[in-house]
Amino acid sequence: MSAILDVRDLRKAYAGVSALDGISFAVEAGSITGLIGPNGSGKSTAIDCISGFQKLDGGRVVLADADITGRSPHLIARAGLTRTFQTVRIYERLSLRDNLAIATQQFDPATWIDELLRTRRYREAVAAGDSRARELVALVGLERYWDIETGVLSYGQKKLVALAAALMPRPRIVVLDEPVAGVNPTRIREIEAALASLNRAGETFLIVEHNVEFITSLCHRVIVLEEGRKLAEGTSAEIHADSRVLEAYLGTTSEIAAAEMRATA
Amino acid sequence: MRQLALALVVALAFAALPLLTTSNYIVGVGVSALIFTVAAAALNLIYGYTGLLSFAQLGFWGVGGYASALTVVSFGGSFWWGVIWAAAINAMLAILIGFPMLRTSRHAFVIGSLTFALLATLVARDWVDLTRGPLGIPNLPPPSAFGIAFDTTAKFYWIAWAFSVAMLALLYALCSSRIGRTLIAIRQNEDLVRAQGISPTPYKLSAFTISAAVTGAAGGVYSFHLGIIDPTFLDFYYMQTFLIIVIIGGTGSFWGVLASGIVLSALPEALRFSADFRMIIYGAILVLAMFVMPGGVAGWFRDRAIARQREALG
Repeated sequence: MSAILDVRDLRKAYAGVSALDGISFAVEAGSITGLIGPNGSGKSTAIDCISGFQKLDGGRVVLADADITGRSPHLIARAGLTRTFQTVRIYERLSLRDNLAIATQQFDPATWIDELLRTRRYREAVAAGDSRARELVALVGLERYWDIETGVLSYGQKKLVALAAALMPRPRIVVLDEPVAGVNPTRIREIEAALASLNRAGETFLIVEHNVEFITSLCHRVIVLEEGRKLAEGTSAEIHADSRVLEAYLGTTSEIAAAEMRATA
Repeated sequence: MRQLALALVVALAFAALPLLTTSNYIVGVGVSALIFTVAAAALNLIYGYTGLLSFAQLGFWGVGGYASALTVVSFGGSFWWGVIWAAAINAMLAILIGFPMLRTSRHAFVIGSLTFALLATLVARDWVDLTRGPLGIPNLPPPSAFGIAFDTTAKFYWIAWAFSVAMLALLYALCSSRIGRTLIAIRQNEDLVRAQGISPTPYKLSAFTISAAVTGAAGGVYSFHLGIIDPTFLDFYYMQTFLIIVIIGGTGSFWGVLASGIVLSALPEALRFSADFRMIIYGAILVLAMFVMPGGVAGWFRDRAIARQREALG
């Protein structure tokens, strides 16, 4: 396996306060990599910088051997990195079908003239998009909403729409920003199953999440951030056993011990 | 397809208006209804679809009116060239002012567009050498083509009709395509659009430019309907009319704006039975419409459709 995404020494400060202080990691092609850490540890800043939504102060981002550091978000998406957002973002006034069609229209060759004249190029592009969309919609179980405005869906279903849209153009890597935050437990298991099955089919994911259980059961590799630095990196089992990670999440070991004492008392 | 067939039938029915009445007054109202509907549809492209509230439309309307009048009166061109210049000059202006304005926030865009409209008003009034100032340019000659002079209201109606059908067809081809869909997406969530590999700026600038060119051409045709152009051509009344048509029709709905354009242009005239109260009644109808249908006519139908879908899904 080789690294599809290579992040070197990311630096970002807001008004002198350091949000990212030299973070480096790599995501292997075909893997699911998790990025966890307490609130304010720099997870969201890191993926905003990687996907071009925030300017970096320093560091390099390499996607499949192409340096994408400092490029605009739409160029990074065209280079093969798509993403979802923490607060779910979809086009609520468009149908599920249109939501997915837009996600891939930049990647097909059909122009407005093609569309106006209904040329073969246009018809083929639409047919290809539709078949990919049907596939993803079936995977996330939203078939019955195909022609319906996505505004009527539940919050969890909207997250699935956002996930499907990010996968539409067959990107090299998909970055998911808190895919299960605010989603009910049944739906979380569905999302987990969908991601695992997509990964078996070859998709690469980088997932930012608070839900440690979700991350450790799904990810091949986990990176832990704390206060803008990388605290630990390893397999799920290694991370589970790492006392520094426990401290970062739950407080110092003595505080944990004290809490356990209170719980047993 | 059924929508387009219906639109064709309605368009042909409108073409017949001068054959149905000999009243110049009614045909004149028909000309206004057609031209205002085109300007409103152009505003709908930038405001309804793209989500950018542009008061610059008033400036484009005025610049278009003056451009076509001056082409004929000062530069010896024909009416047809006047309309083409009206569109071209406005397209260039839109690119020039749109490029910096679209880099700012949506709120700053509104203010910037308003400033442009006010500036255009000042130019019309104070650049006397070019526009002849408050006196205006009277006695615009009627257009002619193939040896036929369109010198009556009824004949001019055909020009307004053909122009409107062509412009509305162009706007429909845009709005109903992927481009229209992308504009709606930009209005709803610009960051998501960017995350999907689409750069919003060219779309927004194109929508603004096309909207400006169509509005300018509409102003160019309308000034020859009036036969005179002066600074009152840039009265805020026009902007207000276009905006009311778009809001009552339903922002972002092509057919809703079309229907409301025809109805609302004719309504103040239909209320003339009560000369004293007609504008009060007109106002009351507008207020009532907004109470009952805050999303416009199209929004009202849409809400019903969504409620039905929800029910069907259980």
